[in-house]
Amino acid sequence: MTDTSTAESWIGKKFARKEDRRLITGKGKYLADIHVDNCAVLKFVRSTCAHGKIKSIDTSAAENIPGVIAIYTGKDIKDRIKPLPSAATLPLLEANYPKHWPLAIDKVKFNGEPVAAVIAEDKYTAEDAVEQILVEYEDLPVVTDPEHALQKDAPVIHEEFSDNTIFKMTLTGGFTPEEQKQNSEKVNKIFETADVVVSERFRVHRCGVTPMETRGVISKWDEYAGLQVWMTTQRPHVDRIVFSEIFDIPQNMIQVSAPMDQGGAFGVKAPVYREPILIAYLSMELGRPIKWIETREEHLMSVSQERDQIHYLDLAADSEGRILALRNNIIADNGDGCEGVFWGFVMPFYGAAMIPNGYDIPNCDITVTCATTNKSALSPARAFGTLPGRFAVDRAIDMIARKVGKEAADIRKLNIIKSLPYDTATGVHYDKADYSAVLEKLVSHIDLESFRKEQNSAAESGRRLGIGFSLSVHSSGVASEVLVPMEGQPGYGSATVKIDSGGTVQVYEGDAPQGQGHETMMSQVAAEIFGVSPDNVVTLSGNTNNSPFASGTFGARGGSSTVSAVAMAAKAIREKMANIFIYDNQLDATASDIGFQDSKIFYEKDTSIVCKFSELAERIIMRPLNMPEGVDAGLEQTSFFEAKEPMMSFSVHGVIVEVNENTGDFEIKRYVSAEDVGRVINPQIVEGQVQGGIIQGISNMMFEEFLYDENGQQLSTTMENYKLANAADVPNIEIIHSDTPCEHTPLGTRGMGEGQPGPVPAAVCNAICDALSHLDIQITELPMRSDRLWKLIQDSR
Amino acid sequence: MKKQISLKVNNKEYQLEVPNRLLLVDLIRDELKLTGTHQACTFEGVCGACTVLLNGEAVKSCMMLAVQADGQDITTVEGLENNGELHPLQKSFNENHALQCGFCTSGILMNAVEFLNDNPDPSEKEIRHALIGNICRCTGYQNIVKAIKEASKQL
Repeated sequence: MTDTSTAESWIGKKFARKEDRRLITGKGKYLADIHVDNCAVLKFVRSTCAHGKIKSIDTSAAENIPGVIAIYTGKDIKDRIKPLPSAATLPLLEANYPKHWPLAIDKVKFNGEPVAAVIAEDKYTAEDAVEQILVEYEDLPVVTDPEHALQKDAPVIHEEFSDNTIFKMTLTGGFTPEEQKQNSEKVNKIFETADVVVSERFRVHRCGVTPMETRGVISKWDEYAGLQVWMTTQRPHVDRIVFSEIFDIPQNMIQVSAPMDQGGAFGVKAPVYREPILIAYLSMELGRPIKWIETREEHLMSVSQERDQIHYLDLAADSEGRILALRNNIIADNGDGCEGVFWGFVMPFYGAAMIPNGYDIPNCDITVTCATTNKSALSPARAFGTLPGRFAVDRAIDMIARKVGKEAADIRKLNIIKSLPYDTATGVHYDKADYSAVLEKLVSHIDLESFRKEQNSAAESGRRLGIGFSLSVHSSGVASEVLVPMEGQPGYGSATVKIDSGGTVQVYEGDAPQGQGHETMMSQVAAEIFGVSPDNVVTLSGNTNNSPFASGTFGARGGSSTVSAVAMAAKAIREKMANIFIYDNQLDATASDIGFQDSKIFYEKDTSIVCKFSELAERIIMRPLNMPEGVDAGLEQTSFFEAKEPMMSFSVHGVIVEVNENTGDFEIKRYVSAEDVGRVINPQIVEGQVQGGIIQGISNMMFEEFLYDENGQQLSTTMENYKLANAADVPNIEIIHSDTPCEHTPLGTRGMGEGQPGPVPAAVCNAICDALSHLDIQITELPMRSDRLWKLIQDSR
Repeated sequence: MKKQISLKVNNKEYQLEVPNRLLLVDLIRDELKLTGTHQACTFEGVCGACTVLLNGEAVKSCMMLAVQADGQDITTVEGLENNGELHPLQKSFNENHALQCGFCTSGILMNAVEFLNDNPDPSEKEIRHALIGNICRCTGYQNIVKAIKEASKQL
């Protein structure tokens, strides 16, 4: 059933999104828009102290406010709710997983940790009550620097552990300390004799990809219907398991629904957090539906903070610029680590595994250490732990190029992985593709040679132009083999496809998209396979009660794993329909002889033998008489797609900047991304993902920065001081393609949204350094803004 | 403290008694159930998701009290369609893939309506500057700018 010849091919077609109609008319239903009768409102009291013992909590004034229903503190729930970790929130990685409850018990560990909760009749009353609650803290010494946190004299934040190392792993050289030591010695020897060595400390600040819609939960208990939870989440099925584990309720008595409309997530809504557990519990305890909509301030204080790594990076190369070895000691500022599934350290772990990126570096010595600090836990942000390493390695490549006196693009051509499939020194398998072709295409499209001429003539009139490059290999969908150890979740994609007796195709996925356009994309795929219009396909997502188990929408799983399951299920149903059509018409034919197009099913060799798609659906569902032997009635299929190999997507970025040497101002004049995303389902959606992801990278690099003072006080809790790029701040993105269909997905697709922001800072900073090459400026810290660049320029003179 | 107010929203007259401290965005969302107007920052006017038209002028409804809208004429995103016909901006946003999650879209549409009224033939730079009061996290703005430019040709 590979032949899906239809009059109109929907896969690969620029098709305006199905989701849009309700969203542009204000009829979308996001979490906050869901109305549940008799619903109370919950607001949190969050810690004003970064590290301290809770001496007292005085709720008396708040309790007396009319409209306040109840107030809960940690003491009230400690013996009634099981703490995390629960089984479904645990990776198989060896780490110190901190035990924690939804509200702080006895002590607080970061400024913003939930300390108490007010439940009131309306949000204004709840806010009044929050202000009346007095919490007294006894300050403990605050640790905000990850390198300090790892020193012997540092105060230990989680008293159940002996130090602040939440996770440490050497990713290269083998599995025993002896093997790893031998590997280190081997790598050190290469460094001793290498022609060229670059050694730098790279620092990437704390920032992330805060979505426009904050988090939210509505929970309702009914003794017969059970627990119904509507929540912003990327993985409703996992949330349901966790609720079941914590409350000892069977899963069939719990329904978790992610709204079809979610206002972005980019990773933020993937972890299992404290707040939904408390809200679900209190809705049962109080017998009232409860709604919590996170404020932006809460959101910026407690989630969406990622990156935040220090890289001590050494690269050794020969005189030609061929990289011989890489040494990387990574330290991540993990925050308090109290966050189910990810625990703050899974992102830096993945980032460490992806350090080799698209470069062929056989000898590596890479260790990552994640330090507990008095900050909010790192939570996933698009590019998932890789952005700091991408910055460090691709900046270091330019430093090598400078030392050997070659074009940085040529050093990349020399070191890029040329023969794929490929296994990195960190044990990551890259599937078949042509990375060199993508790089070549970008360099020729941006016309490096002409640029150098333009750059030289501009320099004569005092204008400083520069060019920079970077690469990104990123996994899209991860097989169970990897995801089970990494996040404790299976990696397969899953979907149910049903045809109703009216001929409408229904696709159900247990993932929970947040703007990626699954309704359109999955509908295009099903439409192609069944030869119907995407308007005849309905795609529903995010509801545990109508979909097979799925680990969620994250890591570019939609375009790789989930869509593959949709294709498998749809093809199985098509084959069944084709066989029944053959039987009904007494044809001597096989399923591949039967065409599906224009909502009709026909014999390819005699198109006069034809019936309507809807007629055959009705016959199989409602009139299952005289069926072929061994064939059941009904048209429903659930399929699971488990990747045999990873499905890597690849991109190369090229940037041209102009720098004002006198002020440090810089402007991105041109931004080009060359992509290998496999077979494209909807080019408009793919381009939107690339454009948005790159602008997020620029915003991270130039504007966004979570700041804590020396007392652990958060200084960036509003959008006024956590600045996101606006339309006037950013350039247009040019996108070119060099796509190679993936050989081990049913449609040849790869997912491509995840990695986009990762390579951005290196490309832009490489361009800035190129523009100022006469000053030999090397950017090693982010964010990079005009004031910092001005300082670097002054220091160089 | 409550106050009686009357206002027109999407051409419909309302008489309501509202608490003095009720924000206009909460009146629109919670009382009038017009949930197309969104809220994404903590009442600081930065994100722009709550933008509505007040007597034809784009304002951030989280920065106003409901009582300040007494006697005023408000249009929300639900009022953009005309007799079931989408506004050219709405059509253009769909055709140009100017939205992904859609959370910022209502506010951007309302801002763009006023902007194109004032500047029917804008340059890309003018459009980008007109959008600085609206944050979009998904699209990178490129297609939003394109959609507004395309719509300007239809108006």
